[in-house]
Amino acid sequence: MSATLTHEYTPKDYKSDLKPIWCPGCGDYSVVQAIYRALAAIGRPPHEIAFVSGIGCSSRIPGYTTAYGFNSVHGRALPIAQGIKLANPDLLVLAAGGDGDGFSIGGGHIAHMIRRNMDIAYIVMDNQIYGLTKGQLSPTSQKGRVTSTSRLGSLEAPVNPLLYVLAYGAGFVAQAAPTDLPGMAGIIEEAIRYPGFAFVNIQSPCVTYGEESQQIKGLKAISQNLEDLGHNPADRLAAMDLAQDYGTKLHLGVFYRNPEPPPTYGDLVKERQEFQVKEAIPRERILDLFIKK
Amino acid sequence: MAVRSIDFTRLSLMDALDLAILVEEEAEERYIEFAEQMEQHHTPEAAKFFRLMAGNEAKHGEELSERRTQRFGAEPRSVARAMIFDVEAPDYDAARAFMSPRRAMEAALDSERKAQVFFKGALPAIQDPLVHDLFSELLGEEVQHEALVHAELAKLPAEHGPRDEDFVDEPAAQ
Repeated sequence: MSATLTHEYTPKDYKSDLKPIWCPGCGDYSVVQAIYRALAAIGRPPHEIAFVSGIGCSSRIPGYTTAYGFNSVHGRALPIAQGIKLANPDLLVLAAGGDGDGFSIGGGHIAHMIRRNMDIAYIVMDNQIYGLTKGQLSPTSQKGRVTSTSRLGSLEAPVNPLLYVLAYGAGFVAQAAPTDLPGMAGIIEEAIRYPGFAFVNIQSPCVTYGEESQQIKGLKAISQNLEDLGHNPADRLAAMDLAQDYGTKLHLGVFYRNPEPPPTYGDLVKERQEFQVKEAIPRERILDLFIKK
Repeated sequence: MAVRSIDFTRLSLMDALDLAILVEEEAEERYIEFAEQMEQHHTPEAAKFFRLMAGNEAKHGEELSERRTQRFGAEPRSVARAMIFDVEAPDYDAARAFMSPRRAMEAALDSERKAQVFFKGALPAIQDPLVHDLFSELLGEEVQHEALVHAELAKLPAEHGPRDEDFVDEPAAQ
């Protein structure tokens, strides 16, 4: 059961004593600050929050918060987050990771989170490279990108994370960047508040292996606020149209928010459990099923 | 640098003081973050400089807070941290592993200049003469800070050696 809000939380309440070891200049420093702010705005105590990640630079992020954290297995943040949410539906469950973790190694899991509409906010720090392992091609690397595993340039088209989740029917899809920390905090807060699966793609530059055009100055040059464009976040087709600009323009804000969110998987499970409990055999009689009389 | 939802034409003295305090707080926190990053990455000289800057920003913030309390007591704030971003705080991407003291000071110099742009840019829109005086005063202080950092920079020997990027490993295949 969630605690009564008798205490006003500040971002510092969610900051752990562990010091980040990301490269100085990494975009993830501002992402963790935005998460602190979003959690403070939500106001749930840290012990009511579970934060799960996969493997990679950005997947270190749960450790830098005071929430329960699980830096899990490569690509498996979402299934583990799902298990936690089902076991304890009252927890606020966040999942995070990088573009490789989310769209390559764990790429198969996203579709199922979306079709089940798990009430989980998933934050992907998209830097278009495998940074932790020193600069290999990732699923969101642009075609032609020269990396240690594509010396002559990548022959592959990148995954478009926004279009991917929109096509599967995600109820909340947004994009943010360290070019606007308060905006990023607001988007993460909105994603957490959305009742269902919420996806936030954060263009978080890799200062060590990222390209010059993908650093903060480059991102500022191509960023456009969706609100300023007059985009209606209830219009899914318009969102998909804008999502096609991924890689060329940086649209910041909410692409899509389902105005009528369907029930979450947790809601449906609860409903079924309530239905089944009427016909359930009392605990003290369960053995009778197996013992012949 | 970005500001949002601030109408400078209607800014009251209390709001102006609160904004200035928030600007100093943001800068202080960022310098502490940078100092911690440098400590984690074995760059003690830059860390020491960023701690010094954090202390300076904290001192300015406290001075402004005292003025605010003397004049307006505990009246609640109507401006919020979400309204400002990177006004006097160095940009997140200004930090680099193994940055030299010179590079650290240059980052601070850029930040002092950003703060000047903020106060200078706001002045023409400000209607309240007290707010105008405050922002002019704060602008003057930022100019002084820039001169102080310049003076410190001048004491450092010129850098002809490798840049901090030269220490970063080359991308490697797994």
